[in-house]
Amino acid sequence: MPKWFQPAAIVCAAMFAATPFVIASAPFESTMGLVFKIFFYHMPSAWMFLLGGIVCGVASVRYLFSSDARHDRTAWAAAELTVLFGLLTLVTGPLWARKAWGTWWVWDVRVTASLVSWMIAVAYLLLRRYGGPGSEKLAAGLALFGMANVPFIYISVNYWRTIHPATSVVPTLPVSMGGPLWFCVASFLLLFVLLFKMRVRLEEQRARLDAVYLSLDE
Amino acid sequence: MRVLTLSIFHWMSNVTAAILRRVGIFIVLIVCCGVLADSTAWAQPPEQTKTYTPISELPPTEQIPAARLLVAAYSFVLVAVFLYVVSVGRRLTTVQREVERLEADMKRTGRA
Repeated sequence: MPKWFQPAAIVCAAMFAATPFVIASAPFESTMGLVFKIFFYHMPSAWMFLLGGIVCGVASVRYLFSSDARHDRTAWAAAELTVLFGLLTLVTGPLWARKAWGTWWVWDVRVTASLVSWMIAVAYLLLRRYGGPGSEKLAAGLALFGMANVPFIYISVNYWRTIHPATSVVPTLPVSMGGPLWFCVASFLLLFVLLFKMRVRLEEQRARLDAVYLSLDE
Repeated sequence: MRVLTLSIFHWMSNVTAAILRRVGIFIVLIVCCGVLADSTAWAQPPEQTKTYTPISELPPTEQIPAARLLVAAYSFVLVAVFLYVVSVGRRLTTVQREVERLEADMKRTGRA
């Protein structure tokens, strides 16, 4: 692991320990009250979910054009993080919606598109795990669909009639709400970078292990 | 005759002034009443409570306890991240140990 990893991990843990206090300092939203505070974990998770989809897609494109195994390892690591952060988003969202909308789930365009994107990431991992030789190219192609879905998820609330809050919510937040939100975004981004680094390192070690086994066979 | 005419004019001007004064006071009173009525309308006290409503009769969204949902959301995020970190850490340790063991074997047998 690089030298910066351990100090960054300590900073990340300290930031996550501070998030409850930072979130508690934010005022309640006028109509949602206490349940609004789920937003401070839900939205950063959703952004990391979309970021994971983009990283996986870009790495897959580079792998398809270059056949460089490093890009494939990056895509695999990013796909796993997409599944993790997608799961966080898809669980915290309904917990918020139960109170805010009175229902756990609606087949809303953003919610449905997010679920589809998450299922594409799960399919990517299943293909890599059980697809056998050559599945990396197929999985890379699948990742392109996941990446293409990301802008659609983001803008969908502005173009379709939906009950999901619009993208204009974040830029118009007052400082008292925006400050804690951006602190949480920074915490989740640092967590994403650290987990990504760990996961890429795992793939590098697996590639090294394969190389050692090959050299033993020869 | 001239004195009589002047006194009539004087009396009429006094009467006109008195009428104008009264009309002015009336207009000022009307305006004041309007402003007061408007401000008192804003300062209406809330409606008197005539019945108490049990919480079970509230709309469904207002009955749901928010605190449980909030704790569930935060707990899920922290537990999921912790389990994922443990999972990646264990996988990484296993692979690294395997690599080190094989490399040590190769060195020992002189195949490196």
